[in-house]
Amino acid sequence: MTNSFNNNNNGNRWVFSEASFEKINGTVNDLCSRLKAHVVVFADMNGYPISFCGDTRRIDINNLTAVGAGTFSATAEMAHLIHEKQQFKYIYHEGESQNIYLCNVGEDYLMIVVFNKNTAVGMVRALTAHAVKKLTGFFSELQGEKEKATEFLDDEFRSLLGKELDKSFRL
Amino acid sequence: MHVDPFRKEIIFKIVYYGPGLGGKTTNLEFIYSQINPKLRGELVTLKTKEDRTLYFDFLQLELGRVNGKKPRFHLYTIPGQVYYGYSRKIILKGADAVVFVADSQSVRMDENWKTLADLEEKLILQNKSLTSFPWVLQYNKRDLPNIETVRALQTKLNFFNVPFHEAMANKGQGVFETLRTAIQLALAKV
Repeated sequence: MTNSFNNNNNGNRWVFSEASFEKINGTVNDLCSRLKAHVVVFADMNGYPISFCGDTRRIDINNLTAVGAGTFSATAEMAHLIHEKQQFKYIYHEGESQNIYLCNVGEDYLMIVVFNKNTAVGMVRALTAHAVKKLTGFFSELQGEKEKATEFLDDEFRSLLGKELDKSFRL
Repeated sequence: MHVDPFRKEIIFKIVYYGPGLGGKTTNLEFIYSQINPKLRGELVTLKTKEDRTLYFDFLQLELGRVNGKKPRFHLYTIPGQVYYGYSRKIILKGADAVVFVADSQSVRMDENWKTLADLEEKLILQNKSLTSFPWVLQYNKRDLPNIETVRALQTKLNFFNVPFHEAMANKGQGVFETLRTAIQLALAKV
């Protein structure tokens, strides 16, 4: 079994192994629970949520991730404009009742934590940094576990997808 | 593209590119208005006070289960104005296909060319090119006066003989046809 990995190498997309995904999921769930966070999302910089937990019924994870990834990328350019050699490591938005903390996980991934005023931002920073360290450790183990995503996209799926598009788009 | 066999999801990123005021957001607004709310998210628009796209618009679509798998589509628009070049670069990153929304009006040809050249520049930064990247042309605003003929548009914009659709995005004409072509091109590239 496999899971997502956004690397595009010569047109081939690669995916995580089940074991790696379980480790990622476990880290995200642990962070969410320890922070009593509303939502924790581990995503790639293209805006795809990979692993998430918390109150995902009330918060649209896909929209949150798309805007979060966009925000993070924009700050990378701000870093460039002020001649900062590396991108900023985290972004923090403080609201009246909800706060958002975003930080990078290596160059290709990010973590989004939504929490309320009962959780100290220092604690969020510390525990998220710990989780990020664990996750980057997993990534170094990924080499050799990759599979082609094309194996997931079989001919039957491709054929049925075309028909479903016609039906949904009323073509 | 993002594959998640645990949730049995496949997510494609489709980016609507084109000159400012060409109808990119109108495409997404029409799709949003027509798709069953259970199969789409909310339309996210990051606009200026003048109602122009500042950063991007975002809409997620899904189709339910297809052969036991759940395809999703993340649709993004880019800001058309030239001074938002960096935003376009970011949004284009990781795109599986591009819909180039061209304005059919004769007076807008210059803008179409400039934006197409800008798209090629941004693709080159990702070691890609319009010659091989999956993209589709949409000739929008076919209902306006003083427009170029399709033949003229083909000569002036479709250098690489990619699929194209005529459209009136404000009325929905050609919108879903264009999106379908973009998805098929993305799928064919995997």
